[in-house]
Amino acid sequence: MRRSASILVCLACIAAFAPGLDAYLKLGTRVSGRTVSLEWKQFPIRYFVMNRGVPGVTPNQFLNTIIHAFSVWESVEGVSLSSQFAGFTSAAPLDDDSVSVVGFVNRPDLDRVLGSTSFTIDVVTGEVVESDIFFNANFQWSLADTGEADRFDLESIALHEIGHLHGLGHSALGETELRAGGRRVLSAEAVMFPIAFSAGTTLGRTLRADDIAGIRDLYATDAFRQTTGSISGRVTKNGVGVAGAHVVAFNPANGKLVGGFTLSDDGSFVIAGLDPGPQVLRAEPLDDADIDSFFDPSLNVDVNFKPAFSTRLVVVPRGGTARNVEINVVAK
Amino acid sequence: MRRIALSVVLLFVTMPLHATVLLPIEFRELVTTAPVIVHGQVVDVRSEWVDGRRAVETFVTVEAAEYLKGNLGESFVFKVPGGQIGRYRTVFVGAPAFQTGDEVVLFLKTDGPSFPFLVGLSQGVFRIVTDTQSGRRVVTPPALVGVNSADAVRVVRGNPARRPVAIDVFRDAVHRALSEEPVVRRVLREGAMR
Repeated sequence: MRRSASILVCLACIAAFAPGLDAYLKLGTRVSGRTVSLEWKQFPIRYFVMNRGVPGVTPNQFLNTIIHAFSVWESVEGVSLSSQFAGFTSAAPLDDDSVSVVGFVNRPDLDRVLGSTSFTIDVVTGEVVESDIFFNANFQWSLADTGEADRFDLESIALHEIGHLHGLGHSALGETELRAGGRRVLSAEAVMFPIAFSAGTTLGRTLRADDIAGIRDLYATDAFRQTTGSISGRVTKNGVGVAGAHVVAFNPANGKLVGGFTLSDDGSFVIAGLDPGPQVLRAEPLDDADIDSFFDPSLNVDVNFKPAFSTRLVVVPRGGTARNVEINVVAK
Repeated sequence: MRRIALSVVLLFVTMPLHATVLLPIEFRELVTTAPVIVHGQVVDVRSEWVDGRRAVETFVTVEAAEYLKGNLGESFVFKVPGGQIGRYRTVFVGAPAFQTGDEVVLFLKTDGPSFPFLVGLSQGVFRIVTDTQSGRRVVTPPALVGVNSADAVRVVRGNPARRPVAIDVFRDAVHRALSEEPVVRRVLREGAMR
């Protein structure tokens, strides 16, 4: 009950690395003056795994965890994705060598980063040349089914990073608290929430509605897209568009939360991959997070407003879009 | 059904405010951890091959307006992962990007002879921007908790008490954190990014 309450209080939001008009839940990059989604065009995605373990994790155990995490994303209904382990390597992730590598690295300059994903992109064609995932060897890692005290769950973090590798940005669908010693995640309604659960838990091993909507937005088959719908609209303050607002779609029929962001100065947003039917929309400022982990600095993010709801229930059509939804907010 | 009803109610409930907040724990840790805290302006951004052309990093030159802690000189260079050389761009998801002209407060660390780097990557950057309504230069303050509070404080988005503030107010918060007794920290246990 308490967990349900915590989870449901959190309201969704999605991030994009670079702003774009329809950059819902997706990483984007500038190619020839326009924003394009970072996504893979050729399958299977081939990756190498570094032949180095850390205390508690052998290279083979690491490999099995990575293979499993890829399979979780690939098993989402309606999605066409595949990957292939290409072999062990001594090459390190984060090297620009045109080869995608997953592995443990010791990086003192990334002192509070559990793991991270990098891309090398051809900015002329928009092609992803490689994508590496690094796990910070300075942390203690666990493979245990129920977690281990003071160790971070490798499977949870792998699932998050492989979400990035597929082209998903950070989600803001999470709730945190501050206490002596730091900030703690109370609940997260997205694997792609950027702050990890505390060490010792395995709560991040299951994809949520927000993650599933995101991966479907990128890789769903055309047939499956006809079974979902989307919402488009604007968030405004005094008649002017609000950039960087977090917009959450709540489905009262099944309790699912899926989020998006306004990613341009006119305050427009698109949330795709939604179940058809009524949705309640809420806009809120991302004023509790380091927005650099969500947005490109060229976006003039406004966090000075109070949360607000759409004035009407929005009905998402199957295979279509509910358009012109407007949420008006006021300054704090 | 009960869960659905509850969720609808919670969606519309305004979260209670925690008005006794003074200084943030997380912010205090940033302040105590960073040897250098500086307010300045980005004057140059360039990407270069490093580590024997195996990786790309971006080197950001900052003209310091004021040091709140430590000193790296009138201008200095710090590094962030990723960058663009020619037609290839390396994007490090979650890492901050900078442009010439950005006004920032940076929390920096150094590691031997290497270039300084941000504490906690994007957590070590506070951007000073123009408020769309007032036209003032403001910075979004960190989430706050009482200095000696033993109670956890839930972070609520849209909390009216947490408005963008002028750099003077932000500077005062840093100075207050610096003047406090050292805080025992549980380093790298919670709040880790990914």
